[in-house]
Amino acid sequence: MEKTLKIKRHRHASLDARKARAGYWFTLPFILGVVLIYLPLIIDSLWFSFAEPGFVTDNAGNSQLVFTKPESFFGFYANAFKNQSFVSNLLAGLQQLILEVPAIIIFALFIAVVLNQKMLGRALFRAIFFVPVIISTGLMDSINNLDAISDSASGGVDTGAAGGTDQIISVLDIEKLFQSMAIGSELVGYVVNLVNQVYQIINYSGVQMLIFLAGLQSISPSIYEACRIDGATAWETFWKVTFPMISPMILVNAVYTIIDAFTRSTNVTMSYITNNIYNNGARSEATAMYWIYFILVLLIIAVVAGIASTFIFYQRRD
Amino acid sequence: MDSTKPRITKETKDRISVDYEGKLSFKERFLYKIKSSFTWIKILINILRFILMLGVSFVILYPFVSRVANSFMSYTDIIDSTVSLIPKNPTLDIYKYIIFDAHYLDALRNTVLLSLLCAIIQTFISCLVGYGLAKFKFKGNALVMIMVVITMAIPHTALKFSLSTHFNHFDLGTIMALDYPGIIELINGSSINLSNTFWPIIILSISGLAFKNGLYIYLMRQFFKGVPDELEESAYVDGSGTFRTFIQIILPLAVPMMITVFLFSFSWQWTDEFYTTLFFRGTVNKVYLMPDVYQVYEGWIVPAVGSSLYKTVVRNTAGMLIIAPLIIMYLFCQRYLVQGIERSGLVG
Repeated sequence: MEKTLKIKRHRHASLDARKARAGYWFTLPFILGVVLIYLPLIIDSLWFSFAEPGFVTDNAGNSQLVFTKPESFFGFYANAFKNQSFVSNLLAGLQQLILEVPAIIIFALFIAVVLNQKMLGRALFRAIFFVPVIISTGLMDSINNLDAISDSASGGVDTGAAGGTDQIISVLDIEKLFQSMAIGSELVGYVVNLVNQVYQIINYSGVQMLIFLAGLQSISPSIYEACRIDGATAWETFWKVTFPMISPMILVNAVYTIIDAFTRSTNVTMSYITNNIYNNGARSEATAMYWIYFILVLLIIAVVAGIASTFIFYQRRD
Repeated sequence: MDSTKPRITKETKDRISVDYEGKLSFKERFLYKIKSSFTWIKILINILRFILMLGVSFVILYPFVSRVANSFMSYTDIIDSTVSLIPKNPTLDIYKYIIFDAHYLDALRNTVLLSLLCAIIQTFISCLVGYGLAKFKFKGNALVMIMVVITMAIPHTALKFSLSTHFNHFDLGTIMALDYPGIIELINGSSINLSNTFWPIIILSISGLAFKNGLYIYLMRQFFKGVPDELEESAYVDGSGTFRTFIQIILPLAVPMMITVFLFSFSWQWTDEFYTTLFFRGTVNKVYLMPDVYQVYEGWIVPAVGSSLYKTVVRNTAGMLIIAPLIIMYLFCQRYLVQGIERSGLVG
């Protein structure tokens, strides 16, 4: 009698253990990848920003790894900060990031709200709006970038170059318009910049639109029904129901947009480092610069997450 | 008694027609509607919304239209500024150049192979890892999730130097800075050079570390969290093992989500430039991929006025040819894209 009981208890315990083991089996590819490939990659990347590796073939024909260290330990980082054009490009990149991210998020939210409403040709518009998700990456980005460069060199013949030099509105027109009002020229410049970058903003907000749309779909229609019955206007409904419910998605999208904007190859700082430093052979210095930029962006993400967490509303779940 | 009570005449899923005493006739109701400003505002908003959507669609689609139009132009048409959109002397010169001289067909074959392999592996691996993270409590689950987020956050651009060095001297588990032998060196005697092969990208895919794989794993985890546990429990009771349950019960449920991830990984690998230029650099036995197609070789273009403009057109045509297969695939898959994301329960 005692024996059977013992076996039963043993079996029960092993079911949990087996489930835990299954968890390891499922995640094994990733765990192995992280331990065997990813962590060495990160550690070496950090190390390479302090000492430049090179391979030397010895007499026996084996290639030997040799590290060339700069005079001081932080040599490559110090060089990076001494490089005037890197610093100015870094600042330009950060400025671009700060200007672009809010515009992309507001635009994506706006379009997602509209695409979520019932309207004529909604399916078609949805299909068109997500075309950029598929194609406005990597290659197409660099083609657009090259176009913009040669456009400004050759003058404005219409080549279909996206966001080339053909400005939709010019700063002068707007300044005339706003001269009488007490609006700073920085704000005017910002708005003009946004309008002229509308193609980029539309192209870079595809995934964000998808995420917002998914968030909007998951808001229960009964909440909107209750609002309508209580006589809330559309404006009130947006700010008191839609916005709080979608706010977690705003944080997700903000983080995604920042990471996306800064890893993109057309990013001012990234392309500067890659084209002018890395491809010229100063690869350790370039790696140091990548890390400087990455840490700055990480700080921005922390600040954004801090600000966002003050207004994010999490629906209580049970 | 009966006539004063409202009477339902017609009822469908979202609309009820009610008849009651003193109900105005259709014509009177119509007149009231026209007079009310609310109706007009609503119509106005609808029109404005439609125009806005049209405008944004135009911004998205116009470059395609103008690039396709430009691609049929001859050299004289392109430098002639009076010609726009409709070519005067249509030719197929640019297409001939791209297809026969710029190795488009080689690149297409290689890219189809590479993207398909990557997309299939990445979709399956992210399903596997996402499912493991969502449904099993094991020691270190939270740690693995943190690692997923970290792989999402650190851009591979910052690891460029490290990536190229590591895959040119590929070994498992070795940190070059500390210089100890990895698994492959212990077995094989030396590390392997993987440059100019598909292996670096495939190895990254298998281990869930390739481009944006963290995002896919996160999406999959969120999706599987929304699948009720009872499904698996009943399968376990019926004697099905964990993996069989996963393959036969869970994966069929995840098809829309898998199509979404497949579409992302396929098209992002297709248009990828970072990894292909990083890992395929040799000039001997060159593996042609999409980034080689849009390079305009100097010898082909007669140096003349406006040759930079002509180069732009050639480059854009190459771009169109590169994404044409993607667009066709997108047309078939696009309805799953929204569906998959909607069902992911991303908010949860």
